[in-house]
Amino acid sequence: MELPGTLSRRDTLKSISSGFGYLAFAALAHQQARAESETRIDPLAPKPAHFPARAKRVIFLSMRGAPSHVDTFDYKPALKRDDGKPGKNARLRSNALMGSPWSFAQHGKSGLWMSELFPGLAKHADDLCMLHGMHTDVPNHPQAQIQMHTGSFQFVRPSLGAWTLYGLGTENANLPGFVALNPPSGNTQAFGSSFLPAVYQGARFGRSARGPRHRGKGEAIPNIANPMLDREQQRMQLDFVQNLNRKQLKHDQYQPEIEGMIESYELAFRMQDELPELMNVQDESKETRELYGINGSDTDSFGRQCLLARRLSEAGVRFVELTHSNWDHHRNLSTDLPNRCGEIDQPIAGLLADLKRRDLLKDTLVVWAGEFGRTPHSQGGNGRDHNNKGYTAWMAGGGVKGGFSYGATDEHGYAAVTDKMHIHDWHATILHLLGMNHEQLTYRHAGRDFRLTDVHGEVAKAILA
Amino acid sequence: MWTALFAGSETSLMNFTESFSFAISALFALAPTIEGKGDEDLSQAQSHFFESKIRPVLAEHCYRCHSAEEKIKGGLVLDTRAGLRGGGDSGDTIVPGDPEASLLMKAISWFDEDYQMPPKEKLPDAAIEAIGEWIQMGAPVPRKPVEGVVSREMDIEAAREHWSFRSPKQVPLPAVADQSWPRKNLDHFVLAKLEEKQLKPAKEAKPETILRRLNTDLIGLPPSPDEVAAFLRDWHEDTEGAYANKVEALLDSSQFGERWGRHWLDVSRYAESSGKEINTTFPQAWRYRDYVIDAFNADKPYDEFVREQIAGDLLPAGNDAEWQEHLVATGFLAIGPKGLNERDARQFAADLVDEQIDTMSQAVLGLTVSCARCHDHKSDAIPTTDYYALAGIFNNTKTFFGTINQGNTRRATNLLELPQKDSVALRSYTRKEMAALRTRLSKSEVELAEVVRERARQRRSQTPDTQNLNRRFQRLRSSTALLRSKLDSIDLKTGTMKALAMGAQEAALIRPTKVLIRGEVDKPGPEVDRGFLQVLPHTSTSAKPTATHSGRLELAEWLASKSNPLTARVFVNRAWQHLFGQSLVNTPNNFGVSGAQPTHPELLDQLAIGFMDDGWSVKQLVRTLVHSSTYRMSSKFNASHHGIDPTSELLWRHRPRRLDAEAFRDSLLHASGQLDLERPLGSEVGALGDPGFGSRLRGVGDTGASFEYRSVYLPMIRDAVPQSLALFDAADTNLVTGTRESTSVPGQALYMMNNPFVIAQSKAFAKRVANEAAKPRDRVSRAYQVAYGRDPSEQELAAALRYLRTFYIASSKGKSRRKLGHSQLSLESFCQSLLASAEFRYIN
Repeated sequence: MELPGTLSRRDTLKSISSGFGYLAFAALAHQQARAESETRIDPLAPKPAHFPARAKRVIFLSMRGAPSHVDTFDYKPALKRDDGKPGKNARLRSNALMGSPWSFAQHGKSGLWMSELFPGLAKHADDLCMLHGMHTDVPNHPQAQIQMHTGSFQFVRPSLGAWTLYGLGTENANLPGFVALNPPSGNTQAFGSSFLPAVYQGARFGRSARGPRHRGKGEAIPNIANPMLDREQQRMQLDFVQNLNRKQLKHDQYQPEIEGMIESYELAFRMQDELPELMNVQDESKETRELYGINGSDTDSFGRQCLLARRLSEAGVRFVELTHSNWDHHRNLSTDLPNRCGEIDQPIAGLLADLKRRDLLKDTLVVWAGEFGRTPHSQGGNGRDHNNKGYTAWMAGGGVKGGFSYGATDEHGYAAVTDKMHIHDWHATILHLLGMNHEQLTYRHAGRDFRLTDVHGEVAKAILA
Repeated sequence: MWTALFAGSETSLMNFTESFSFAISALFALAPTIEGKGDEDLSQAQSHFFESKIRPVLAEHCYRCHSAEEKIKGGLVLDTRAGLRGGGDSGDTIVPGDPEASLLMKAISWFDEDYQMPPKEKLPDAAIEAIGEWIQMGAPVPRKPVEGVVSREMDIEAAREHWSFRSPKQVPLPAVADQSWPRKNLDHFVLAKLEEKQLKPAKEAKPETILRRLNTDLIGLPPSPDEVAAFLRDWHEDTEGAYANKVEALLDSSQFGERWGRHWLDVSRYAESSGKEINTTFPQAWRYRDYVIDAFNADKPYDEFVREQIAGDLLPAGNDAEWQEHLVATGFLAIGPKGLNERDARQFAADLVDEQIDTMSQAVLGLTVSCARCHDHKSDAIPTTDYYALAGIFNNTKTFFGTINQGNTRRATNLLELPQKDSVALRSYTRKEMAALRTRLSKSEVELAEVVRERARQRRSQTPDTQNLNRRFQRLRSSTALLRSKLDSIDLKTGTMKALAMGAQEAALIRPTKVLIRGEVDKPGPEVDRGFLQVLPHTSTSAKPTATHSGRLELAEWLASKSNPLTARVFVNRAWQHLFGQSLVNTPNNFGVSGAQPTHPELLDQLAIGFMDDGWSVKQLVRTLVHSSTYRMSSKFNASHHGIDPTSELLWRHRPRRLDAEAFRDSLLHASGQLDLERPLGSEVGALGDPGFGSRLRGVGDTGASFEYRSVYLPMIRDAVPQSLALFDAADTNLVTGTRESTSVPGQALYMMNNPFVIAQSKAFAKRVANEAAKPRDRVSRAYQVAYGRDPSEQELAAALRYLRTFYIASSKGKSRRKLGHSQLSLESFCQSLLASAEFRYIN
């Protein structure tokens, strides 16, 4: 029995009913209609934004470990000039200012400065909106990561993706609305819903989603396949389960939760088909796979994630988050940083190109950020220390100005000085691009209304296209 | 730049601290007579500069060691005007107008290895810059420090009028038209409200339904087919007698504590790891879990239960067993989530205390007191000073949560050694093993000492190379700590593991507490006396904390006193929720002004008064509630009533409920016949690292995937709660959970369709059914009895048989992966269907 994914719930029920004449479907349909018109509101149904949105969906490229801004996107000629002079924050005399060993050039019509570490991305300079005035509260990885994701490093709060899903609902009822690909193990807070209802938490897919013990064993999505039954058998079984459920619903007359349960079984059954298919990039053309750098080289891993992100976004997933790790370059900056950049440059360039040619970039907000930046002075001669006072993130597509630089750090890159953007401001701006007022997106918990931005946050209007 | 001036200066061999403190003491002695800039000359801008740029830096980074209020290291005082201003002779601390000549600048710029202040972490650039600028402008210091955040006037007297802050009032039973319906006093209150709205209570539910409801509510397990049959027999003979006997049997069963204890573990945010950034196991947390379960089984009076958890260590104990129980109870204060990588010890301590206040106040009082940490409470009359009055009590309490200082785990503590040994030791070590541990420890210690010496040598050299040494140092420090903790947890005489517990003790030295301005540890405000919330009544029984004690014992007495208007109300409301699926006060953790109003205020009061009069007996409370006509109502839908009161807030029917995560998983095991009702020894968490003090966790996967004990004993690791529970809305272990969610999400569906644990239970269920009945018809009936506690109707029987047949035929014909056993597979898939169905998951 084939079930096209586009059928509405009522249609689905009718199509299933055909083989089971003993159920009084007319009465059931009546109850359904009542239920729909009354209290039941699907928490994941698409919801109107507060105002017309520029972006419909988000792809968040999360860089764990804090990439150096002064070697990538924040061009600091004065740092080069003062190379070897004592840095302001130096702990030892040998920790002098260190100009970037990589050369910078201007790219695109906009003349955006970027270092030679991102040759592929440089071709998309006119799509990028650089945020040079980023700053965050704590120069520690775990706290800063959590703050980047939830706004708070002290308390357990819902994540950006969960707030987005809560605010906008999902566009594809066959898929989860918030997906985290290759999430770091532990760290559930970054994708959690905290006090928001659990339906808004991120579904975590990828090799580390279930801990190292399961790594490499293939089953990236928990419980997605049945080890005993084939598809036909399982459909038969599910029809039986659904008949039991509908009988219970009929008996209870009014039970929104059981109705939700019936829907969840159908969605789960469809997910079993759609999700593994969606997660399989092999059916993409060779050209497309090459575009993302899926060719067995260093770009392969992140390229797959980027391609998956596009496929999930295209299929209607509201918020997709990718993770790329190992950016904590206290040492071996000269070799490790180019390696990391090399791993992500072509995949991200490919993602932007692919989104563009599918006309998705205009309403897909691509966000790139680490949890903070690194010091302009060196650490041990070939590394940089943590720096939370000033760093760079960027956005592309989804209603931001392309080829645009917003905010700046001081001449060496220590601290944001103009158009500063705190994490709260960054969150407020992302929500704004999605058509939401960060002050109105609230949830009542423990006696008060909570916001992603707490009592802070200012939308960076200047970057809106 | 003035910083550059130090770059070339010679490294002095003189001990910095000595020279610095010499300079400071000299300065300090002269301070009163030395005048910097006159106050009159201080412009507003200069004042502002100092208050906004300088004082916060000094407060955050320097006062810990250099403050008249805290300690005065090296004689240096930076928090008084006198201490700050002026200059001295050689090595002047502050030479107004001359940063380069000021020793303070030299220290904070960290250019010299031996001249570094603050010693652990360099000041932010902006701060160093600002201090330079400030000295440049003559180091002006305003005479008066900025006062703390001024408390707005709070009308505490008026706030006492809030319904939940007044004592519960006894009222006469309301008159009802239908005299035959009420069984218990509480029914009068319910019926009166219904009659007011012309609503009728639903009829009594069918006995099978009532039995399943009662079983689930009291012990979290469905009745077995035999129990159903026996109950129905008795019910038809003597309905009230059968019901009363069943209630007593369930209250007496040791499964009662496992069910009701779990409810309390929700509000006490029970978990077996620290959570947050550095998730470290708490391998001894299970003792608190068992304590809670035992308390409900023993029907420990709720007031005593509260007192023990807040101040068990301070209560008199008749014998070692009682003392032990009291100590374990204080685990309540220790098991909360903790950021173990916090660098700042004061911040860590303040967060720990905040977490304790937050949990205690929400769990026991139904108030969100923690809101007043940074500002006066927005809706309740809880000024910040009240928060710090409570914080003073916990500041003077030492919390023992274990864990080992290794890697980024910086905040380990010891554990409490219990007076009694475990009857079965958790682990035993042979003499040889212990000797090996000792050898490894001393080797590790020796190596560590060498690395420390070598590192110091390297630091003094011209070309220091400490990277490898630092790594070795980290590794050795971790392994030393781990080995030491391991040895510490062994009773070396017997080789068995000591009985250790998490918990609390009084601080050795009782110290005064200050308000922290905006909750910031660097901004101490005025001192406050330790005490309780002003808005709630204090009586002679709630003695005030004294100078020699933390006041925790008095706090416990005050919380659990009959004159506290909240404690009993909050608990009876929770109990009501567990039995009726909804609360009388819809915000069970918030009885404050921003919380919900009670739907039946008089009823709540009568229950609270009755609860206290019955000696705070939880079993008696449950007994009263389940013997009511209200509890025994059917859940039958009624369209006209639904139109008036859609959520049955007024209780015109029993609300259908989904099984909670633990009851659902236990029911799966119950149906399959695999459930082990024994209590496991300790917890599986102990196996995930150091069994005594705990270890950091990384990617633990799905714990307890094939665990066959009751779910309350599953390992509860923060952020890694077993999938079988997490998917079904288990309590969030980071929060005080008053009401669990009840979601229906595809993750649950996938779990029921495909998860190996579910499949294993389905197979065992099918095997059991096949053993207990031979004919397909009888097997279907048996499966219905086991899963649903009832017989199938003829129609259901026919549908099930049709399914078995169709599935069998399709499977034998199809290209099934299996070649044999299609009949068995049919039965298994049928059994799985029952477990996956709504009727199994919902109770009516």
